[in-house]
Amino acid sequence: MSVRPRSPRALGWLITGLGLAAGAALWEIVGRETGAAFMAPLSETLLRLAELAHTGELWQALASSLALFGAGFALSVAVGVPLGLLLARMRLLRIALESYIAILNATPIAALIPFILSLMGFGFAPKVLVVFLFAVFPILYNTVEGARSIRPELIEVARSFRSTERALWRDVLLPFVLPFALTGIRQAIGRALVGMIAAEFFLSASGLGMMLQSASQSFDTATIFAAILLVTLLGVALMELGGALERRYAAWRNIRT
Amino acid sequence: MTVESRLAEAAPGAGLARLAGSTLLVKLGAGVVLLGLWELGVRAWAPAYVARPSGVLAVLPEVIASRAFLSAAAATLGAVLEGLAIALVLGIAVGIAMGRSFAVDRLIRYYVFGLFAMPMVAILPLITLWFGYTGAARLATTVFAAFFSIVLNAADGARAVPLEYLEVGRSFRARRWRVLADIVLPASMPYLLAGIRLGAARALIGAVVAEFFISVNGLGFFILFNSRSFRHNQAIVAVLVLAGAGVGLEALVNWATRHYFPWYRRDEKPR
Repeated sequence: MSVRPRSPRALGWLITGLGLAAGAALWEIVGRETGAAFMAPLSETLLRLAELAHTGELWQALASSLALFGAGFALSVAVGVPLGLLLARMRLLRIALESYIAILNATPIAALIPFILSLMGFGFAPKVLVVFLFAVFPILYNTVEGARSIRPELIEVARSFRSTERALWRDVLLPFVLPFALTGIRQAIGRALVGMIAAEFFLSASGLGMMLQSASQSFDTATIFAAILLVTLLGVALMELGGALERRYAAWRNIRT
Repeated sequence: MTVESRLAEAAPGAGLARLAGSTLLVKLGAGVVLLGLWELGVRAWAPAYVARPSGVLAVLPEVIASRAFLSAAAATLGAVLEGLAIALVLGIAVGIAMGRSFAVDRLIRYYVFGLFAMPMVAILPLITLWFGYTGAARLATTVFAAFFSIVLNAADGARAVPLEYLEVGRSFRARRWRVLADIVLPASMPYLLAGIRLGAARALIGAVVAEFFISVNGLGFFILFNSRSFRHNQAIVAVLVLAGAGVGLEALVNWATRHYFPWYRRDEKPR
């Protein structure tokens, strides 16, 4: 760069600010030029967002979506992490199951939604199942990956020192596997969000998914954009949280050996 | 290290594994057990139309030979590959610009992060408004789904290019675009491949979900249609093809990474 700024940090924020302002202006102009059936301008979207917040509709939808996300995601962590740890300890079981976990992790789980619909119908449980299935395989897959990374010598050394099973878990297995589990959990957040919206679209309509769908049926782009904005903020916040957790507890994993 | 000695490492059940002889046998055995549980579970508790392995096997030849199924598979997989190709070209350009230019990075980073974190299903209502209920809407969904993971990983890769490489380029007075094409791009390939792997998985989900939403011919719609008419065995065949596509794309990328970039460690964090 030929011009050397006094503080690259300040320059960075300046450029970021310009970028955001330009984006906002572009959104506003395109929205005004093309008409409401194509794209609502930013101002209208923000007004609608405020309106939805004021009537309480927004919070209701958000709470309903978050309940679904929370239930499915918590279930996937509660199942995925212990099962992954079990596979870390039981070698034979891991060898037996790891290929199938990898296959299911690569399978687009969305394809199972119609089966879940026809078997379980409408209600909260099938939707939780969808979120669970979206989220559990990245957790399992990464945890098993962690299990595979444990050097057998470590377990052998622990055993030659007559380590108890509890100490083995505390000092070898958990520290090794947990960082990988956290990577899985971070990846699962993104998938669970997709599962959440997909479940709300294709199973019984509820929450932000229903808000999006009913708005799209009436070509109400202001509400669509408001809901998308909200979902995006939710996604960014949750992913940042997952990333922060991973950095906090899994910092050593990226150190090259 | 032989298979036996690897299996014999201290763990409960290691003796059993030695008995079984090989990892492959253990895996196959587990597969048989899983399929058996599925079969028995469905026979015992589920209605007759629910898919089970024997039923899927029985309809498999007929479904695979049917024109409806083949055209659905071609439509979905074609859209995924086409979307991936478009996302790849655009994603490499944007990602490398982001990784090598401070200004570009600061200009668009929040957009890229935000749209990456946004569940792509949420834009389906918008995409149908813009592209109609057509194959173009599905293509747009796959591009959108894959694009941002490719951009983020390409940017990470472009940032991680060793400084020495760039200095050599500079001392030979290489032009800027030659540096990008001949040094930065090859050096960031492993990251890019990780991005492609994630992008492919997302594009596949995007295609299926788009087909549910817009009811356009494809495997997702095939599944929806058949499961609604209680032909679950037939629908499962389409799930198997989708799973195969997911596994195949992932295996292809992993193979390319190992084969062409053996120095790259896989445990570097993927996005």
